[in-house]
Amino acid sequence: MKFFQSPAAKRWGSLIALYAVVTVMTGPPGNQSSPTLGFTSSFSETVSFFGLFPAPRGLFFAGLFASVIGFIWLLRWSQTLKIDRFRREYSVALSELYQGVAQRRAARGGFYLVALGVAIVLPHLVTDPFWQQAMVSQIAIYVLLAIGLNVVVGFAGLLDLGFVAFYAIGAYTTAWITGALPAAAPFHIHLNPFWAIPIAIVFVMISGVLLGLPTLRLRGDYLAIVTLGFGEIVTIFLNNLYKITGGSTGSNQIPHFSVHLGPLKYVWGLDPVPYYYLTLAFVVVFLFAFSALEHSRVGRSWVAIREDEIAAESVGINPLKYKVIAFAIGAASAGFAGVITGGQSLFINPTTFTLSFSINILVLVIFGGMGSIIGVVIGSLIIQTLSMYLIHAQPAGFQNSDLYIYLGALLIAMMIFRPEGIWPSKRRRREIQFVEAGVEPDQRTDETRLNGESA
Amino acid sequence: MTSPLFDVQNVTLRFGGVVSLNNVSLHQNRGEILAVIGPNGAGKTSLFNSLTGVYQPQEGSITFNGANGPLSVIGKKPHRVNAAGVARTFQASRMFSAMTAFENVKIGAESHKGLGVMGAMLRGPATRRHERESDERSWSLLRFVGLEQHANTLSASLNYGARRRLEIARGLATNPSVLLLDEPAAGTNPAEKIELTTLIRRVRDEMGVSILLIEHDMKLVMSLAERLYVLNFGSVIAEGTPDEIRANPAVIEAYLGSSDAGTEQGAH
Repeated sequence: MKFFQSPAAKRWGSLIALYAVVTVMTGPPGNQSSPTLGFTSSFSETVSFFGLFPAPRGLFFAGLFASVIGFIWLLRWSQTLKIDRFRREYSVALSELYQGVAQRRAARGGFYLVALGVAIVLPHLVTDPFWQQAMVSQIAIYVLLAIGLNVVVGFAGLLDLGFVAFYAIGAYTTAWITGALPAAAPFHIHLNPFWAIPIAIVFVMISGVLLGLPTLRLRGDYLAIVTLGFGEIVTIFLNNLYKITGGSTGSNQIPHFSVHLGPLKYVWGLDPVPYYYLTLAFVVVFLFAFSALEHSRVGRSWVAIREDEIAAESVGINPLKYKVIAFAIGAASAGFAGVITGGQSLFINPTTFTLSFSINILVLVIFGGMGSIIGVVIGSLIIQTLSMYLIHAQPAGFQNSDLYIYLGALLIAMMIFRPEGIWPSKRRRREIQFVEAGVEPDQRTDETRLNGESA
Repeated sequence: MTSPLFDVQNVTLRFGGVVSLNNVSLHQNRGEILAVIGPNGAGKTSLFNSLTGVYQPQEGSITFNGANGPLSVIGKKPHRVNAAGVARTFQASRMFSAMTAFENVKIGAESHKGLGVMGAMLRGPATRRHERESDERSWSLLRFVGLEQHANTLSASLNYGARRRLEIARGLATNPSVLLLDEPAAGTNPAEKIELTTLIRRVRDEMGVSILLIEHDMKLVMSLAERLYVLNFGSVIAEGTPDEIRANPAVIEAYLGSSDAGTEQGAH
């Protein structure tokens, strides 16, 4: 085998290509008198590194790539011990991995408490209005969406590219019941957005079931295409049903959340911090609920279906039912996020609810580690904070349209060096290792394929 | 006279132009260890898949008289058939590889308990009680098949014989009236074969679960089965006790008459 055919050489080759593409694509354009300028100055133009010291773009991006790869390597290295033991002796009992569960549970509980404490004091440490706003609408909401999509993609193993549809339905339901849409509000009263929560959740769960029942018989790629279509259909409806949704201009002003309970009166206003706490409370509730779900019968049934649907059916699990449940639960959290967005952003219009939004949420899930709640939360925090930093600080000649180039490059690097995500679930990691070790979790026989055609 | 557990009448299964089962009729009595034998490609696994709802035969009827009354299997989904009391194992064992042995059995033990998504999220008392019951049942079944010391082993790490036993435990966990075993002894060594024979007998004697068996290993079949059906080219060519089958000229013809019968037997 020639040296350039080795997996390592291929990996590094594709990384260098990725580096060149990202540098050129985000660089300055050429002009008529010197058409190669776009290429050369992409590497040679001097930019300032975090406002600290100026360096040529080529060098700057090389440093950026090196630090990303370094970070991923650090993650790999920290787990080398465990994985090596797994690879060497995966034929012996792993019972020792189960020892010390109690101590680790206590340590984990402490970690979560500290994290929650940090999340609570954060808005008092970060006083920049940009960041306070971003913490609600770009970080907390995205965490909520990502843990919802994680139920669908990570737990149940269903690729959903139309997740934004449920988010849109949640937001538009809020606008509808508060009387901010051209369509008349139900019961002709303009309700507080809090009332949108149960109504929106019922709506998105119904649409999740309606979408799921006919389509979840499909597998893999086919399902992804159908959900993609569903997302597009919802966006097109929002754009074209002028009399109902307000078309491309979107909604009128949506009132803020408010509480009027006897002596207790509170109105969420333009200040993003109260919204931050509201969202944080819901995120915590969903985190608890989803983590209980993961370790329940429902969660185990999802794992069984993901690993071997035929075997799961043979022990009495109805795959369609559990897939629809996953869809409905994932949709519920997206609907929730939609309600908060509706109340917080005052105006909504269809430009928010696009395919790239669905992809963005999917990136958070894949980057964090499919099926791992804590991983998805960490992944969302990292990616959304980085994106917001780029948009806010605009380092190295950054333009907003470049954002997806960086995210794409980050994802490709992840797929090459750490396909299971930065903080994968134990089970997902095992599944990936089985595939790498040549142990197919799903040993499909000819009969299965025949069955797929006849059924 | 009670009705038979499985009553298969004139079942025909086709895949395009290929006739996999041709007018097959057979029945299994309650508490019986029944075996289906036949050369490769005779339609044994197709029969199993038809009995469990994986395949839908075009003609005939399959009635399963389980604890909850008769069920017409054709047209039912596999999980419905399982709920009625039919458990099975697979030819190439299908475990949930990234789960431990214990979790594999538990999946079976809890699959027919109430749905309870809300209960699962809130971890209410009913959910916790179900969980405890499933845990106890899974442990007792792991002990029954002799795998309790491997409870926390990943199922993919178990050896072939242990995987076979685990699959039996997983099937039993769903509380069936009949257990369908698709070549349980394939790929096991002689010592494991003896263990497996004992285990299958114990499943019937101690748990009262009827056994329907496909097997290539003639010694194992003849020592275990009380009655046999012989399939060839998708049709039943003989039925009887092991002694009758051994003496049946049509069976000898099917197994030894064709020139490649020897190599087929050698392959297993």
